[in-house]
Parts: sequence; structure tokens; C-alpha cells
Amino acid sequence: MDSFKMELSRSVRRYDFHPIQRMLYSQDFIEISPFLKRFIKYPVCIVQPENDEEVLAVLEVSRRFKIPVVPRGAATSAYGGATTLKKCIVIDFSRMNSFEIKNGCVVAESGVVWLDLEKELKKAGYALRVYPTSAPASTVGGWIAQGGYGVGSLKYGDIGKNVEWIEVADFDGVKRVKGDELKYYVGLFGTTGLILRVCLRVREGGEPSNYGVKCSFKDSLDLIEGAYHASYVNRNLGKMLGCGDSDSLLLSFEDQKSELDFDVELGNILWSRRFYLLKAAKDTNIVFTEAVLPYETAPEFYQKVDKLAVEAIFAQDCVVMLGILPERGYYSTALKAVKFIKMAEKYGGRTYATGMLFPHKKILDKDAADYKKAVDPENLLNPGKAIQGNAISKLVRLAEMVP
Amino acid sequence: MNIQEIAARCSRCGYCNVCPTYRIDGWESVSPRGKIQIALSFLNGDIKIDARTVKDIFKCSVCGLCEEVCPIDLPLIDFWEELRYLMSKNGYAPLSVHKKLKEITYRYFNPYSGDQDRRDEWANFEIKPSKTLYFAGCTASFKLQNLAKATANALNKLGIEFTIAGRNEYCCGSPFLRTGQKDIFEKLFEKNLKYWERAGIERIITSCPGCYRTISRDYPRFAEEKGLEFNIEVIHTVSILERMGRFEKIGKKIRGTYHDPCHLGRHMGMYEEPRKVIRKLGIELVEMERTKEYSLCCGAGGGLRSQFKEISFEIGKQRVLEAMDTGAEYLITCCPFCEYHLSKSAEKLGNKIKVVDLVEIAEKLISP
Repeated sequence: MDSFKMELSRSVRRYDFHPIQRMLYSQDFIEISPFLKRFIKYPVCIVQPENDEEVLAVLEVSRRFKIPVVPRGAATSAYGGATTLKKCIVIDFSRMNSFEIKNGCVVAESGVVWLDLEKELKKAGYALRVYPTSAPASTVGGWIAQGGYGVGSLKYGDIGKNVEWIEVADFDGVKRVKGDELKYYVGLFGTTGLILRVCLRVREGGEPSNYGVKCSFKDSLDLIEGAYHASYVNRNLGKMLGCGDSDSLLLSFEDQKSELDFDVELGNILWSRRFYLLKAAKDTNIVFTEAVLPYETAPEFYQKVDKLAVEAIFAQDCVVMLGILPERGYYSTALKAVKFIKMAEKYGGRTYATGMLFPHKKILDKDAADYKKAVDPENLLNPGKAIQGNAISKLVRLAEMVP
Repeated sequence: MNIQEIAARCSRCGYCNVCPTYRIDGWESVSPRGKIQIALSFLNGDIKIDARTVKDIFKCSVCGLCEEVCPIDLPLIDFWEELRYLMSKNGYAPLSVHKKLKEITYRYFNPYSGDQDRRDEWANFEIKPSKTLYFAGCTASFKLQNLAKATANALNKLGIEFTIAGRNEYCCGSPFLRTGQKDIFEKLFEKNLKYWERAGIERIITSCPGCYRTISRDYPRFAEEKGLEFNIEVIHTVSILERMGRFEKIGKKIRGTYHDPCHLGRHMGMYEEPRKVIRKLGIELVEMERTKEYSLCCGAGGGLRSQFKEISFEIGKQRVLEAMDTGAEYLITCCPFCEYHLSKSAEKLGNKIKVVDLVEIAEKLISP
């Protein structure tokens, strides 16, 4: 271990072996029960690389000492992507946080916080096409590694569709991937390579014009066409968020729509709350569950879950349904969260992402496992995630069997 | 909610990543989220903490930005103060410089080693008894005496009768309450209160937001805990200027930007009064990118400047640069501690912007 420590400390300027730091970096947004904590292993060290060379040097130490690496952005994923399941080196990308705007794109390093990026783009007359609803905290690399939908996905699709290229580091060095090959990185939680920087397509313009409509979920489907972003908050969630007790649709357009006779005030309230779903946790602890549904079956699914607090985010070719469950005992709430996803699957839906919880769900490219074997033959890149099972995902599978 | 319950409610969303200290230090143990997890594990008896971790806990200016952005509205300002007190109670704190300041204050009744007999040295007027007390505070009394003089002049011009306590004014205790040292705070609280009672004080005017927050919010709380009466009205000078001041306009065109002191803004919710005064003076007010509730701290508070100078000045320089970005010639504030720290930070950046206290400008322009 001493030679490992020495090697690592030579590889990177910012590193920490302190036991409390290791404890902090073993967990992310996901709540782990005291029983499940036995499956979590503290990392042996945390590094904060500041450039590509340091990332490569850390990977070399990982390869030499056969100690896995777990990449980490802001640790805000609800899928346990940055939770440490083995003794490992956590690579915290928060110090790689510069970006450059050029030719209608922005090249951002992995650790850039989405909302910081959006603010800077606005100063230059641009805006992000798509960003996560956790933008005040989550990072560019973190969200792309998870994959998903967010603000703007109605017009621009999932984040993967808005990536021009990604530069990743693996044991062979740094490479730039684009086009079809992106499928081996977006949503793979860093199991095939560590995202260093990303070239994102951006849009021109500033704040969208927002409108609120009180309507049923089914009716909302007839109203969203042409919008840049649309989301739906049902009355149960509205009450928890303090934005009314009606079912409400937010419609956001990239340009003014003066011909629309909708509620601008409600629209602006809903828009201003787009990052603050967690306000629902103000009075009680909550658990999130989410699923992706095809448009065809989304209304039927919605009817089944309407009694919960629900938000729907409309994307180009699917609807993301988010259920907010008040925590009434860890395991019983977790079972309800799993049941939400199971029900979505009955309606042709799927889990939103894999991470540590759902690697058994076959939502990623079928060649992804082979690709990983080729680039990471010793299984050192975030093992037990995305496409590989782990002790906790086995328990999730058991939970899925509960009728 | 007690401190353990607050910590247990944290969702670890990370929205508190805006913390100015965390943005500089970069380690999770310095982020509000990380500190809350450390506190929770410590209170649950899961971990033992060491000197390094205690230092990380104290890397915080208690600016309250984390509380502002917390989606579930956790009362984090109170949380940090309680956590620091807990560290002291358990023998992990005070940190070395904070302890030294306490020792100095036990001896001199101010943290600057100023001679208590010369506390009112700045007063160039006859001191008469009054039920209204101007509480200049330690920084204006010993470091920035021009502010104390300007405040007194402003009150005189506005026709407000007041007195000062001179050698009977003791540090309000704010630096010690913020750093978990309740023992000395209580002593200072008792000494001040005793004198005010004796002098029949009914109203206190402060020019320091730290004193203002402490005397208006913390003193009544402590008085209640000790079964004492506290019926004193506390006002910050800027409120008086806003309510009563009529001003001549500044002759030339001046562009200024306003820095919200954390103790006046986020801690006490006073954002508009200083801006109104600035406009009344005819100064063109340009806002910085981070302003009002989301204002960046100057970096000096909460014992950060005294114990962690490097981080403190890094934050101070960031704030000065943000002010310079507005194109303003003046960085205006109404806190002597912010003024002092931002001036020193501006000095490090070549003095390209002048840091001034609002009261000092306003006093000169009060219409007779």
C-alpha cells in the first residue's frame, strides 16, 4: 500500500487519503440503509485531477495496482453511479471545470456545473439546448455518464443527441468519440472510459417564454407540440411544491407566443421551480422513482399513478414520469419505487437509467458489455455498474419479484 | 429541529456547492453537504473526528448562502453555529487563532487589543446622556474610526440625540458566537446589558451589521434563556438614513456597486434600504452578478479571515473582481468589517476600485 500511495501522490497534485474524506466520497445522492451499507466499501483514496495528464497517470496507477477507479461529478445521481462498491480510487472531476464557446458549440470539461455553464452561455447570447433539472449541482460529465432527459428534451431529445463529441480517457490514452460510438459512453456511468470533456451543441437566444395551463394529463398531450420544453405537475405534487393544487402543464417556447391565451404567471412560477422538485421534501423525507414511457401508453400509466405526487417531463419520443413517494419506512418505500418501474414496464416503459441499481435492465446497447471487455479487460472502470451486477442490484432484483 | 435532526434531513442534493469556501478548497469535507454528513456521523457516534476535520468544519464564513439555496430550507446558519459550539463543548475547538482572539477579548473587551479606555477616542463631540445609544462596535472604534465619526455626524445632522458608552461599550460578542465560543459571548452580553440597563438605554443604533444581527437577534434569545428582560429597539444606521435622510445629489456622475454584507442581507433580510439611499445620493447603481440574497460573501466573517487568511482573501478578491466587472468606480458597502476586508483585497489587486462605506458618503450629503 505504501508504494501505491507514493505512486499515486506522484501522479496527481490533489489527493486525499483521510478516513473521513473517504467516508464522504463513498456515497452519493442515493440513500443507503444501515443494512445495505455492508456492501459499500470506502475508497482508498480520492483524487481531483486538474488535467488529462493527471487522469491518465491515475489510470496507470489503477492498472498497475489493480485498484478500480470510480468517476464522480457532483454525486447527484439517484442511481448510485458514484457509490463505491469496492476499494477503489475515486476520481472527482470537479477541478476540471473550464469551458470554451466556439462555432455554435461549447466545449466543456467534465466537472463544469450545468447551471454555471448556462449562465456563462447566456452572457454570450447562447443557451444550452438540454440540461438536467439538477443543473444547480450536477456536472456535465456526470449527467452525460448517466444519460437522460431534462429541460429542453421536448425539442432537442435526450442529452446524447446534443453531444457532438466526447473525449474520454481509458488505459490506452485519450480518444475522441462521436457519432454511433457515443452509445458506448452516454449512460454507461464511466464503465467504458472517463469523460474528460464534451462538445455540446447549443442554441441561440435567452430565456424562453413560459405559459401555464390547468388541464388533465391527457389534454396536455394535445398542447405540447411546438414547445421547446414541457412538463406536467399534478395537484399532489403542486401542493408539496407550493405552486397550487391543480394539475398544471408548463409550456416553454424559444420565442414569444403572443397568440397563446395561457397563464403567463403560472408558467413563470412553474419555470422558476424547474430545479426545485426537492422542495417536495420540505416537510417529509421523500424517495424518487422514475420511468420512461412511450407516448402511446403514457396516459394509461399516468392514470395508475395519479394518486401519487407526479411530474412528467415530455421528451421528443417519450415521457419521463417521476413519482415522489413520502418515506414510510426504507424498505416499504423502496418496494413502492420498484413497483412504479415494474408497472411502467407493463406499459412498454423502462427504467430511466441503470447505475448501481438496475444493471440487469437491458436498456443499454447490447454490444456495450463486449465493448467494455475490449477497453477495460481487467474490469477496473467503475465495476459493478451500468452493465454489471452487484450485491445491491441483486437485492433490487429480489424486490422486483415481490408481487 | 435540533442539530441532529437537521443533519438527518439533508438530502445531499449538492445545491449548496455555491459555498464560497468550498469553491476554493474543493474537498467534500469543506462543502456544506460534506460537513453536514460529518456532523451526522459524529452525532450518531459512527465516527471520531480529528484536528484536520475540525479545521474543515471551521472553513466557513457563516455567510448563509447555503441556507438560501437549500431546497428544503434547512436552517443552516443556526446549524453551523450550533455545530461549532458542539465542537467547542467537546474540546475540539476553538481553533488556535479564535482562541487567541478570545483571550485578547477577555483582557481588552475587543478582539483588536485596543485600549478600552480609548474606545471613544474617535468622538470629537461632547457626550451627553440619552436613551439612544450609538454602539460603534470594535472595528469602527479601533480600526475604521472615520466610520464612527461619520455615523455620529450623520445622527447629529439628522437631529437625533444619542450617547455613546465609551469604555462601557464591550465587544458585542458576534465573532465568538459565530465561532462556537458561547462562554465569552455570555460574559460580553451580560456586561453590555448591565450597562444599558443602568444607563436606561431604550434604543441602540449600530453601524456594524455584525453587531446589529447579534444585538437584535441573539441578545433577545439569550436574555430569554437567562430569564432577563430585553426591550431595546435595535436599528442599523442605513435604516435611519433611508427613513430620515434628505440628501443633496453628488455633483459629478458616479457609478457605484453595492456589496450586501451577509449579516445585514441574508441574516437580517435588509436589501432595499441601502440601495434606496445610494439612489437618493444620485449615484448610478450597477448591480454585481451575484447580488442581494445570492450575494457573494466578502470572505471575512465567521472567523474565516482570522483563521484561514488565504481562503478569506481569495474570496475577497473574487468579490472585488466581480465589482470591477460592473465598471463601477466605487464598491459601496455598509459594514466596517466588509469594508476593511474588501479594501485589503482591492489593495492586492492594485486598488482599481475604491471601497467605501455608504454612511461615510451619505453623511457628507445630508441636507441641512
